[in-house]
Amino acid sequence: MKQRFISSVQIIFQLALTTVGLTGQSYPGKPQIIRCRSLEKETFSCWWKPGSDGGLPNNYTLFYSKDSEEKIYECPDYLTSGPNSCYFDKNHTNPWTTYIITVTATNEIGSNSSDPQHVDVTSIVQPDAPVNLSLETNVSANLSYLWAKWSPPPLADASSNSHVYHYELRLKPEEKEEWETVSVGMQTHYEVSSLKAGVKYSVQVRCMLDLGEWSEWSSERSIQIPKEQLPPEKPIIIKCRSPEKETFTCWWKPASDGGLLTKHTLLYSKEGEEKVYECPDYKTAGPNSCYFDKKHTSFWTIYNITVRATNEMGSNVSDPHYVDVTYIVQPDPPVNITLELKKSIKRKPYLVLTWSPPPLADVRSGWLTLEYELRLKPEEGEEWETIFVGQQTQCKMFSLNPGKRYIVQIHCKPDHHGLWSEWSPEMYIEIPTDFRVKDMVVWIIVGVLSSLICLIMSWIMIMKGYRMMAFILPPVPGPKIKGIDTHLLETGKSEELLSALGCHGFPPTSDCEELLIEYLEVEDSEDQQLMPSHDTPSKNTKIMLKETDSDSGRGSCDSPSLLPVKCRESRSLPSALQTQDVRAKEKKGGKGSWDTRCMASEQKTLPCESIKTCTWLAAQLPSNQAAMFAYHSTVEAFKITLNTTNVNNSPVLVGNEENHQSLYPIAETVYDDVEKVSEMEYSKTDQTTVQVRQNEHSNKSPFLNPKLMDYVEVHKVRQDEEPTLLLKHKENSGKTKKCTVPGTSKEYTKVSTVVDHHILVLLPDQRSQNTPVSQEPVAETSQNPQQSQAEKNTSYSTTTPSDSRRDTSGSDYMDPSSFMPSFK
Amino acid sequence: MAAAPARAAGRADAVAALALLWLLVCAPGNAGCHPLTVADLFDRVIRHSGRIHSLSTALYAELEKHFPPRDNELGRPARKCHTSGMLTPNGKEYAQKIPREELTHVILKLLQAWKEPLSHFNQHIEHHQELPDDSLSKAKQISNMVHELKTGVEKVTEKARFFLQVELLFLFPIQMQSMGIISNSLNGMASSEGTGLSISNEANMMSDSDFIHCFRRDSNKVQSYLKILKCRIMPENSC
Repeated sequence: MKQRFISSVQIIFQLALTTVGLTGQSYPGKPQIIRCRSLEKETFSCWWKPGSDGGLPNNYTLFYSKDSEEKIYECPDYLTSGPNSCYFDKNHTNPWTTYIITVTATNEIGSNSSDPQHVDVTSIVQPDAPVNLSLETNVSANLSYLWAKWSPPPLADASSNSHVYHYELRLKPEEKEEWETVSVGMQTHYEVSSLKAGVKYSVQVRCMLDLGEWSEWSSERSIQIPKEQLPPEKPIIIKCRSPEKETFTCWWKPASDGGLLTKHTLLYSKEGEEKVYECPDYKTAGPNSCYFDKKHTSFWTIYNITVRATNEMGSNVSDPHYVDVTYIVQPDPPVNITLELKKSIKRKPYLVLTWSPPPLADVRSGWLTLEYELRLKPEEGEEWETIFVGQQTQCKMFSLNPGKRYIVQIHCKPDHHGLWSEWSPEMYIEIPTDFRVKDMVVWIIVGVLSSLICLIMSWIMIMKGYRMMAFILPPVPGPKIKGIDTHLLETGKSEELLSALGCHGFPPTSDCEELLIEYLEVEDSEDQQLMPSHDTPSKNTKIMLKETDSDSGRGSCDSPSLLPVKCRESRSLPSALQTQDVRAKEKKGGKGSWDTRCMASEQKTLPCESIKTCTWLAAQLPSNQAAMFAYHSTVEAFKITLNTTNVNNSPVLVGNEENHQSLYPIAETVYDDVEKVSEMEYSKTDQTTVQVRQNEHSNKSPFLNPKLMDYVEVHKVRQDEEPTLLLKHKENSGKTKKCTVPGTSKEYTKVSTVVDHHILVLLPDQRSQNTPVSQEPVAETSQNPQQSQAEKNTSYSTTTPSDSRRDTSGSDYMDPSSFMPSFK
Repeated sequence: MAAAPARAAGRADAVAALALLWLLVCAPGNAGCHPLTVADLFDRVIRHSGRIHSLSTALYAELEKHFPPRDNELGRPARKCHTSGMLTPNGKEYAQKIPREELTHVILKLLQAWKEPLSHFNQHIEHHQELPDDSLSKAKQISNMVHELKTGVEKVTEKARFFLQVELLFLFPIQMQSMGIISNSLNGMASSEGTGLSISNEANMMSDSDFIHCFRRDSNKVQSYLKILKCRIMPENSC
């Protein structure tokens, strides 16, 4: 069962395949007879639609039989009516017979036939549409007619033209949808009346035989029905114008012509005359115009002008137009307009407009005088600004907004009467942006530059201006010693300390300078031989000398500026107290024989006194004896402050003069330094007051030889005061000799040696010209008590000459850093 | 009621007359004033005639407003001005062809022809109660200004004659002859020449607005002729 079924399926499948394979070439499809039609009842044609061809060329055969006969005929004419058709001519057409028609399609595989079609010739009659439709309009007695003509449809057989057709005509206005159909009858023309004038009509025709169907509508024809034919309407005179007050022209609007050719004539008569003239010139001024040349133009005369429009139906005349040429002058716009931008002295731009009168106007004769008016506005503006210019032909425009584009126009008019001309063509001018803006830029640049310069200048002033400030204002002391880092002091890194103090760290050098000048103390002992060398040159004195000497040096290095300030500050109370303290100590110890402090009696030294005390205060030495030391000698203070290593011991030593021995080496160490310092000081001082005092403390210090106690204390007090030398001798105790030795003074800047621990031998300044050469040997032989004593006698002259100092003043500003290493 | 405008007009006249008088008195060589050139004088009379024309235009408009034309006078009927009989150049070319002296004479004759009718008109118009005072004063002003203009033109032409050293002929018969000759050459120029008397009569026959219309036209004529005359005598002066 199963196998059979399978095999049968296979067979069916194969069959299907074969059939599929055969469908490429198969029986032709079934043709279909579309229609049969007789145009004139005598012949007819049939058309068919072929079926599918089956992939092969097909032959179509039409067979027919008549109802009266059994015989089957084939189509007599396949060609006449075109492809897939059959034409039955007269011979094969019998109106009273019904034809049974089939079409057979045949190819190699087989054939197929259409369904039979029964054809009654009389019932299939439908003629073709009429041809050669033509339309005409005819106007008679103010009525429009439409005349349509056409021809009957053409036939294949030209011989059979005797057929009678019935015709129908339909028409409509072109824009409408509904047709109006008119039965025409048998004639091939028709006249349509009662048409609307001025409408375009579309017309079609069709025809029919006495039996059968109506033909198709013929192709459409259209015609414009002309308007009603009437006399022309009134023309209208638009205007009359004289461009130059010599000729004039009138224009009119033509009347509607009613579809007929209309002729316009202009007629005019002049005031006070009956005669009517016709326009002399229709052409010159264009269509619908009349030009009156000079000969025909009169002034102070009124023209009565009319225009007559005439056609076949009649004529019409416009309303009269009265013209006095004097008052219809309307010139042409001005020409040659130039816009020019100029700059005034203030560099403000202004606009110069120039123009010429219109070329037609003869202004030179005086016959026509023109006045001008111009208008302008910014390009984006809305409102015109109008300026009446008068008779001149140029105008200057000020106060235009810079940076804007202006439109300018000019028109003109005869004076007193007449009309403004048209505006001239637009002229554009761009006003450049204000020059002041550029100026502003320049000024801004200048301002910025100058302010920059000022800034730089002021910066420089600030950087370097302390000096100037110092001259203008009293020197402001810097926090010299106060500011010293005590830690640094303790650690003993003097270099760091100094560098910290360095001249820049110090108050400005100028202040240094001042101080140097003000507080130089020179102990003149052996060098000047004031002190008798034979008098026990004890170590004490030596030390003291050194101290004093170093004092001078210290004064310089000691940030001097601080001192006076301190003085001032403390002068009120603390200074007094301290000085008292100091004095008390002096008295107590009695050892402070070296009264190196400034004498209160001396005005110049008064500040010094306080200074010293202050300095001590400022130094804030840890040691209690510091004050004492300071009192004795600022040198000590200096040493203490600046040279910590040395100072540690020095106060003790100096404090107790009994311990000179221990002090001595320290003094020695200081020695070189002091030398230098003193040198420098001297070089810096301009004017120095040197106080040479003799110590009166001989009594108080028992271990000191009175002679030894003789010393010279040189104070440099102030620049502005005369150098004075005060030499104090023990013998003249209580008396102070004040000598001003400006010229012959000597400068002791060097300490040559320390004699007997308490005599300092000073060397005169080698650089000063006044320094005698012999002083060198003196210095050298300072150890010699004789010499030193001898020098002592001449101690009066120990003041350094101010001149020499001045000489050296400028060059040798002391840089503290230069002697820094010496304090190591 | 008419007294006030009359006074106002009188003041205006006085001012105008003074101005013109100054114009006339100030002859060249007279140290009292700046010597006026002929061109200046011409400008003055031209301006003066222009003012007259403007006044008459304004007056004409007022009269038309108060006395609208009758219905049968559609548009403007052909008016017969009493001066329309005078031979005057009716175009630029004629005005330039005619001798200067004759042109001057035409101007003077036109002004002369209006003197008397204007004074009549002034008397007549004062009876019109419906006319505003402004119109009456205008009429009065016009009348006076015409008189001044005539004087001014005479003075100018006199000066111009010096200027040109041309003899100005004031003899009417000769003028008429020459005008007659010219009139033959002029196209469209009225040919009839009326007498002064007939002119006055014609003026009386006219309506007020027609009268002013005619005057306005003649004032324009005078101004145009003066301009032409000026540019003919002094072509270099802005001509």
